[in-house]
Amino acid sequence: MKILIIEDEQGLRESIEEYFSEAGNICESVSSYQDAIARVNLYRYDCIILDITLPGGSGIDILKNLKERNHTDGVLIISAKNSLDDKLEGLDLGADDYLVKPFHLSELRARVSAIIRRKSFSGNNLLQFNELSIDLLAKAVKVNDHQVKLTRKEYALLLYFIANKGKVVSKNAIAEHLWGDGIDMANNFDFIYSHIKNLRKKLLEAGSHDYIQASYGMGYKFTDQ
Amino acid sequence: MRLLARYNRVTLVTTVVVMLITGFIYYVAINLILIRDVDKDLEVEENEVLAYAKQNDRLPQVFESNDQQISFYRATPETVRRHFLDTLYKVTPNPAHRRHHHNGERYESGRGLITSVSAAGQFYKVLIVKSTVETEDLVQIIFFITIGVILLLLLTLFLINRLLLNRLWQPFHTLLKELRIFNVADNKDIPRIETSIDEFKELNHAVTSMSSRVKNDYKDLKTFTENASHELLTPIAVINSKLDSLLQTGDFSQRQSKLLNDLYGSVSRLTRLNQSMLLLVKIENRLVEDRQTVNLKTAIEELIIQFEEIFHDKELIVECRLTDKGLHTSPYLFDILLNNLVGNAIRHNCLGGNIVILLDKEKLTIKNTGDKNPLQSEHIFTRFHKSSGSDGSGLGLTISKQICENLGFKLSYLFEDIYHTFIVIF
Repeated sequence: MKILIIEDEQGLRESIEEYFSEAGNICESVSSYQDAIARVNLYRYDCIILDITLPGGSGIDILKNLKERNHTDGVLIISAKNSLDDKLEGLDLGADDYLVKPFHLSELRARVSAIIRRKSFSGNNLLQFNELSIDLLAKAVKVNDHQVKLTRKEYALLLYFIANKGKVVSKNAIAEHLWGDGIDMANNFDFIYSHIKNLRKKLLEAGSHDYIQASYGMGYKFTDQ
Repeated sequence: MRLLARYNRVTLVTTVVVMLITGFIYYVAINLILIRDVDKDLEVEENEVLAYAKQNDRLPQVFESNDQQISFYRATPETVRRHFLDTLYKVTPNPAHRRHHHNGERYESGRGLITSVSAAGQFYKVLIVKSTVETEDLVQIIFFITIGVILLLLLTLFLINRLLLNRLWQPFHTLLKELRIFNVADNKDIPRIETSIDEFKELNHAVTSMSSRVKNDYKDLKTFTENASHELLTPIAVINSKLDSLLQTGDFSQRQSKLLNDLYGSVSRLTRLNQSMLLLVKIENRLVEDRQTVNLKTAIEELIIQFEEIFHDKELIVECRLTDKGLHTSPYLFDILLNNLVGNAIRHNCLGGNIVILLDKEKLTIKNTGDKNPLQSEHIFTRFHKSSGSDGSGLGLTISKQICENLGFKLSYLFEDIYHTFIVIF
């Protein structure tokens, strides 16, 4: 996939770029409004990660520019402005998603993957990972044509893992993805473990390889290596 | 008390008191004048009697005249002292007297003069009495006129207040109405009102300039809020993303993992604290206006499904009794309110405790077990008030309270049996 990161904060830009850089991905980044406009008018991307507050202009204007020229690039707005108006304006203007800073890179990756899936799999709603195949419309998971019955949260967890394959995903990130902001009243994240245990068991029973690895007690890694 | 009522009361009381005092002074003055008049008449009569006795050396013949009687009594010399006195005037039944038609003798109030005369070597005490009924009639008339004037004055004042003052105050009421519907968030300004009264012009001017100042401040505040949000959340976002990146570098010792976990925890707490503060500012400034009809029952049920694992994790028993209830309110704010209250019920609960959620047409009640002692209800809604050992932001209940104020609900706390109870009255 081809991704453009428009973000003026150097630290964040570098982290995102690093997280998305892997074999098969092309990842570019710009830090100012003018550079961004020049870039989006020249090249097409599968997904543009767009910060609202930029030196030289507003990310909203870049979005308008894209839509005026009928470019179909996926757009994910990342903004520290947790204001409802901005969010609604962004989505009204045709952004595909909105993520408030700060966020976990794994969450960003999952959202970007979802956008690209929606854009590129038009007519084909099947997501394939080795012997796993996921019907995104029916929300059904198969391992070598064996149907696996997953709960809502297990299904969400699997999608999250596949979007972040090869990466260590922290327990915090998983908890926030599955339970949202309400997660902070939990004592610990042990109950995540039971979800992961169940998912892993169901996949193994259906004949899948063991892709889920625990990682230093901090998180999990979904990998086929 | 309304200004008009207050003003009316003062003017009316003053008027009545002044009128009564005036009436009293009238009464005393006229009484004095009239009595002096009667006394003069009595002296004239005395002179006539004395002159007659001196000339003829006998007593004059006594005859009844209108409202005047003279009587003579034998007396020893030097026992009679000449003086005026208030006495009674005896009315003998006489068809000529129109005033009293009763049988027998009657008495009217009168004024008398006691004097003495000598005639034919005999010493007499003389009593001359005149009726003062006419005087009293006069006083009565003055009294009625006074009352009449008071009533007339009250009526006039009442009418003036009713008609004139209401019209005079009209600009004030218009302005008040404008102030009531004034909302810093919308663009409508307070209009200039048409009035020729200087005070109202001044008031209008002050209100208009105040409203534009407030709007400016509000705009500044909103900008500040957004800037603060951006400035604070960006570094937190960087820390967060760097932690995620660090996690990918592999091979951590147990000790490093523990440190990383603690860092994650603190960063997410910092994030929540910051977001809570910004949310509070936002709600206090009433920046959220997205009212629509919300089905409270559905909202609560969704929340319970969302929290299922957390209930399970703390072995909490959740009891729900929900009735269908639709409400025209902000779904965004109601969600936060619900999240905060149920979140508190989970966070401050004990292992294996209870949570009871009751929803009926009037109120939402959320009860939880936990600490055996009641909370200090006067402190719990203040900012950053936390129970010891709480890892919350200390803003949850402040936000809840503020949301309730915005949405027109009432939030209260009480402790019954073993339950900490929060009640939201719609």
